[in-house]
Amino acid sequence: MKNILVKLEETKKYLLDNIKETPKIGLILGSGLGTLADEIENAIIIDYRDIPNFPVSTVEGHAGQLVIGKLMDKQVVAMKGRFHYYEGYSMAEVTFPVRVMKAIGVEMLLVTNACGGLNPDLYPGALVAISDHINMTGNNPLIGPNYSELGPRFPDMSDAYDKDLIQLIHKVGEKIGIKVHNGVYVSISGPTYSSKAESKMFRLIGADTIGMSTVPEVIVAKHSGMKIMGISCVTDMAIFEGTETISHEQVMEIADKTRPKFINLIKSFIKEVSMQ
Amino acid sequence: MKGYFKKISEAKYYLKGNINFKPTIGLILGSGLGELADEIENPIIVDYRHIPNFPVSTVEGHAGRLVIGKLEEKRVMALKGRPHYYEGYTMKEITFPVRVMASLGIEQIIITNAAGGINESFVPGDLMIIRDHINFGFNNPFVGFNNDNLETRFLDVSNVYSENLVILAKKIAKENNIDISEGVYAFFTGPTYETPAEIRMIKFLGADAVGMSVVPEAMAAMHEGVEVLGISCITNLAAGISDRPLNHDEVIRTAQNVRDKLSIYIKKIVKNI
Repeated sequence: MKNILVKLEETKKYLLDNIKETPKIGLILGSGLGTLADEIENAIIIDYRDIPNFPVSTVEGHAGQLVIGKLMDKQVVAMKGRFHYYEGYSMAEVTFPVRVMKAIGVEMLLVTNACGGLNPDLYPGALVAISDHINMTGNNPLIGPNYSELGPRFPDMSDAYDKDLIQLIHKVGEKIGIKVHNGVYVSISGPTYSSKAESKMFRLIGADTIGMSTVPEVIVAKHSGMKIMGISCVTDMAIFEGTETISHEQVMEIADKTRPKFINLIKSFIKEVSMQ
Repeated sequence: MKGYFKKISEAKYYLKGNINFKPTIGLILGSGLGELADEIENPIIVDYRHIPNFPVSTVEGHAGRLVIGKLEEKRVMALKGRPHYYEGYTMKEITFPVRVMASLGIEQIIITNAAGGINESFVPGDLMIIRDHINFGFNNPFVGFNNDNLETRFLDVSNVYSENLVILAKKIAKENNIDISEGVYAFFTGPTYETPAEIRMIKFLGADAVGMSVVPEAMAAMHEGVEVLGISCITNLAAGISDRPLNHDEVIRTAQNVRDKLSIYIKKIVKNI
């Protein structure tokens, strides 16, 4: 098996050979947000399957392309579609693209996702800045030997989500009239949605939103020393009365309806964020 | 599983060939606490890498030697450095040394470790006797441990930490004016330190300290019929309990400052077991 450092070097070389300007902002676009990638100007679009060492995504609604170009006058690299632990990828595979982003020069990771709401103040369509997370996946992408070239053995997670960036997104939201909430995101492995009792338990232990992604990516981004901003779109309430259940179609429907607002917020944020 | 028992027995016979007595007390010395092993008299020192099937520890601050000899007139064997789950070892690998020590005849084990303080009364440098634990590792060293003896198949872990040893440890602390607390230790896999949200959660669930070791080892020792005493050195305050970021250097530094106090304490416990 190839060492991750060797793999990264190969992937980095391939990408740098294909792009002119290196991006400083990385975007991970979750369920239903892929269209934001279509707004990237002068885009170089690379299928995941053409990128050396990249895994290939399998889920409906996750396209599987790396899109590199300009968004709001900033050089960005966007993942259109991501790898989920529940698809059977290892944590190393799930987070490999984040390592690649770091390798080609990304300094800030903006990670998005669709999530379930646990906090009763939230509602389908609410946008939530992730203030912190609880890792309930039962795994950690850094388990295994540590490569000090990539980061420290024991990363501090006491401020994984950048406080200045959270402040900025609230300011941006206010300016364009989009309400932004704050919340603690709990990630589970999935692919089952949480049971009602599990959702109540997650609420009890302090989570506001729940989903099946983001946390592994954020752990690796933090390990690599990137600035991190996470935004979730609540597509359904995980704690509810009655017996009505949710389908992937419903999740996609809310994601579709909220998309213009979500995209507006992200674009405005990228416009305002200053990258030294 | 046959392979596992065979591996244990290979390590056992290798070590038996190197010692001419039966050790009675095992010690596991955690981050920055390994120097107690240097006080062992007439030591037989064996590098982990020379012991058949032994996992080799890779982390800074964990040396990786088995030291066998006399401490306070007792025959002890000490693990200086331990393999951790976050290094990528399986649960069976990280509990392998404990099982080897048990096979050589130890009757008690003292497990020390560096831990993050959650209980608000803790300050860095405090010592905590482990009364109980919360396994948040999403794994268990007994998964796949199939055998016909149902009593050991479904292990009762309601008393992992020996009441007798806790009483003894408290008595000795009192006699020697050593401040000691008691509490619940929560095991997280690491290697990331916990987030403030995770610490709030585990505090709410009843933990006083948090760390990345002890629990698998303690359960394996208990499974082998070994009495367990766990002592945590609170080397830092957990995320969110203090505003300061966490780093491994601080953990090692605090552990080194407390080392002498802890060494004296453990020696007194060993003497009185």
